[in-house]
Amino acid sequence: MSKKDKAGNPKAKRLSAETLVALAVETLKAEIVPHLPADKRYAAAMVANALDIARREITTTDDSPLWALLDTTYDDGDGTPQQLATDIRAGAVSEATHPGLGAKLRAIVVAELKVRNPRFLRSRGLKI
Amino acid sequence: MAADLLDPKAVRPRTFDASKSDVLGAWLSAAIESPVRLTNVRLLGGGAVQENWRIEADVKGGTRAGRHSWLLRTDAAQRLAVSLDREAEYAALEAAFKAGVPVAEPILRCTDASVIGRPFFIQAFVEGQAQARHATRHPDLASFGERLAGDLGRALATIHALTPANGTLSTLPVPMAQPAKVEVARLRAALAAASQARPALDYCLAWLEANAPTTRNLTLVHGDYRTGNYMLDGTRLTAILDWEFAHWGDPMEDIGWLCARCWRFGNDDVTHEAGGVGSRKALYDGYNAVAATKVDPTTIPYWEIMAAVKWGVIAVLQGDRFLTGGETAIELALTGLMAPEMEFEALEGIAALEATRAGR
Repeated sequence: MSKKDKAGNPKAKRLSAETLVALAVETLKAEIVPHLPADKRYAAAMVANALDIARREITTTDDSPLWALLDTTYDDGDGTPQQLATDIRAGAVSEATHPGLGAKLRAIVVAELKVRNPRFLRSRGLKI
Repeated sequence: MAADLLDPKAVRPRTFDASKSDVLGAWLSAAIESPVRLTNVRLLGGGAVQENWRIEADVKGGTRAGRHSWLLRTDAAQRLAVSLDREAEYAALEAAFKAGVPVAEPILRCTDASVIGRPFFIQAFVEGQAQARHATRHPDLASFGERLAGDLGRALATIHALTPANGTLSTLPVPMAQPAKVEVARLRAALAAASQARPALDYCLAWLEANAPTTRNLTLVHGDYRTGNYMLDGTRLTAILDWEFAHWGDPMEDIGWLCARCWRFGNDDVTHEAGGVGSRKALYDGYNAVAATKVDPTTIPYWEIMAAVKWGVIAVLQGDRFLTGGETAIELALTGLMAPEMEFEALEGIAALEATRAGR
C-alpha cells in the first residue's frame, strides 16, 4: 500500500541524489567490474571511490569541528582555514597560545575522513 | 567536468613522441659512436612525475655491440617542483652504481632538450616487478619477506655510505642547517604555495621544526625508498629505482619513510613494519651489518611523522595539478583528497610521542 499525504493523495516518491549514486556504485561493482579486463579494474575502482565520496558529501559533511576551532581562535566570523594555516605557520597560533590545538585539528581531520575514507578510520580503530 | 574525467581522449600529454624515434636513434648513434637502430619503443606504466620508455636497440660494432633492452627516463610533461632534474638524478644513480648499490646500469644522459623535448637518460632495462602489490600481496611473502627486509637494509646502508666528503655528486646542494629543518622549510614552502589550506599539515610542520633531531652524519638520502620503488625478480631484490628525490640529508629519513604506516600497503601488523614486507628487526639488522653508523631507533618515530607529513604535502600538490594545473586525471583528484589520511597519521604519531615524553 502506497503512502498518502494528509489530503489522501498518493505521496509522490522522489529518488534522492544519495540513493541514485549508491545505486550507480552498486551496479558498477556488481554488473560492470566483473566483465572488465584486469587493466581497467583500477580505473573502475577509482570511479566507484569517487562516486562513494560524492554520495557521502551529500549526507555526511560535518564542518562543525572546523567552525568550532575558527570561532574560538578568531573574532566572530573572521577566521578562515587559510588564515589559520598562515597563523600556525607563523607561530601566532600554536599549542602554547591555544592549548588542545592538535586535538581540535584531529577532530577536523576525522570529520573530513568520515566523508573521504571512512574505511581508513575504521582501520585505525575509530567507531563511526 | 565529470564527463571530461572519463573522456578517453583526455589523456595526459607525453614528452616523448615515439613516432620520432629516428631522431633519438641518430642521437644515440652519435653518443655511442656506433650505428644504433631502435627496433621497438613503448611507454611503460606509472609515472605522474616522469615518463619511462622501454627501448630495444640494435648496436652495430663498438664497445656496446649487440642487442640491448634500455630504459629511457624523462620528465612527465608536468612534474612536481620538488623532484630533481634528470641530470642530477642521473648523477645520483651513477654514484650509487659505482658504490655497489643494486641499480640498473646508467648508460647515457642527454641534456639537450631539443632531441626528444626534455633532457633524458638511458639505463639498462632490468626485468622484474616493482609494483608494491606484487611484494605486499605475494602468497609466499612469509617465506621471503624477512630476507627482503634485510636486503633492503643492506642496500640502504650502501647508499648511506655516500657522503658529501666523497667528492661525488657535487651537483647536489649541501644543506646549510639541520637536515630535518631544511626538509620542513621545503615542505612548508610547497604547502604555502598550494591552493588548499591544510592547517593540520602546518601544525605538524611546526612540531617537526621544534623537535628536529640533530643529525649525526650527513649522507646521500634516496628520498623515496619504499616498496614500489624497488625491483624484484621473483622474490629477489635486483634494483633500487626512482632516484629523483635524492639529496644530502639524515640517513634515518629513508628508514622512517620505508617504515611509515602509509607505505606498508595495508600490512599493518608488527611483522611487516618495514615497507609492508618484513620486520623492523630484519631491516635494522641488515642495515647495521653494513652501515658505519647504526640505526638510531630513537629518531625513527620522528622521521615516520615526517614521512606522513611529506606524503600529505605531496597529496595536496597532486590535487593541485587537477584543481589549478589543468590536468584532468581522476587519480590526481582522488590523491588530493587523501591529505587528511596522512594528517591523521602524523597527528597520532605526535600525540603518541608527546604522551611518552609526558610519561603518560
